[in-house]
Amino acid sequence: MNQTAKIDKRIEIPSDIGYIKKVSHELLESLNRFCIDKSVQFDVRLAVEEAVRNAIEHGNNYDKALPVLIRYVIDSKKVTVDIEDKGEGFHLKNVPDPREEGNLLEEGGRGVLLIHKLMDKVAYNKKGNRVRMTKFWRV
Amino acid sequence: MQIRFEDKDGIRICMAEGDIDINTSPQAKKMFDKVLKDKSGKVLINLQKVEYIDSSGLATLVEILKNIKSYGGKLKLSNLSSKVKSLFEITKLEKLFDISDSHDEAVKSF
Repeated sequence: MNQTAKIDKRIEIPSDIGYIKKVSHELLESLNRFCIDKSVQFDVRLAVEEAVRNAIEHGNNYDKALPVLIRYVIDSKKVTVDIEDKGEGFHLKNVPDPREEGNLLEEGGRGVLLIHKLMDKVAYNKKGNRVRMTKFWRV
Repeated sequence: MQIRFEDKDGIRICMAEGDIDINTSPQAKKMFDKVLKDKSGKVLINLQKVEYIDSSGLATLVEILKNIKSYGGKLKLSNLSSKVKSLFEITKLEKLFDISDSHDEAVKSF
């Protein structure tokens, strides 16, 4: 890991699936500056892309007039990413477990599970329209 | 993403290349629909050159599997990177798919 002190960046995108990669590309560039392991980059990229997609799709219902707000902070120990939409919020207990036998053949519903498994900490605000995800570097 | 395919020993071999994600999944689905239009009974998707799959990509593979099963065919996946394989483990899709470490192993197991 190099000595880059800290990156604190905010990105605002419209609720358009086409902007998901813009977010992850910027984040990956920043992670590269910290020489973060490719395997960790994979996990963070996937979790962030899934969460931004959920914000666009389920939070803002693809309304391009509504923004998705992303903030990420990278330091020598971790990356923390906040993703906020303008929706009514969601509650984890209402999300079906895609690993259950009856859900395995469902085509969707795996994004939230992947986020929780790939990141070290995941928390939501009370309303459920903002998620904070953290991944620690194991050095 | 791209898919090259060939028929060898009665097996339709699909060599996928590139990310299978939110951007490319619709295109991947169309390509596979075209490749499987004749209802090939034995299908192998080699994912060696696929470095990244997201939940849309997983959903696309589930759709392809359902399609092949609907006409009584068999689908096998091979050469998954450790990261891609970990997604199948996390989501338990490994229970649904027949996954081989190597191409040859997958071909022999049909």
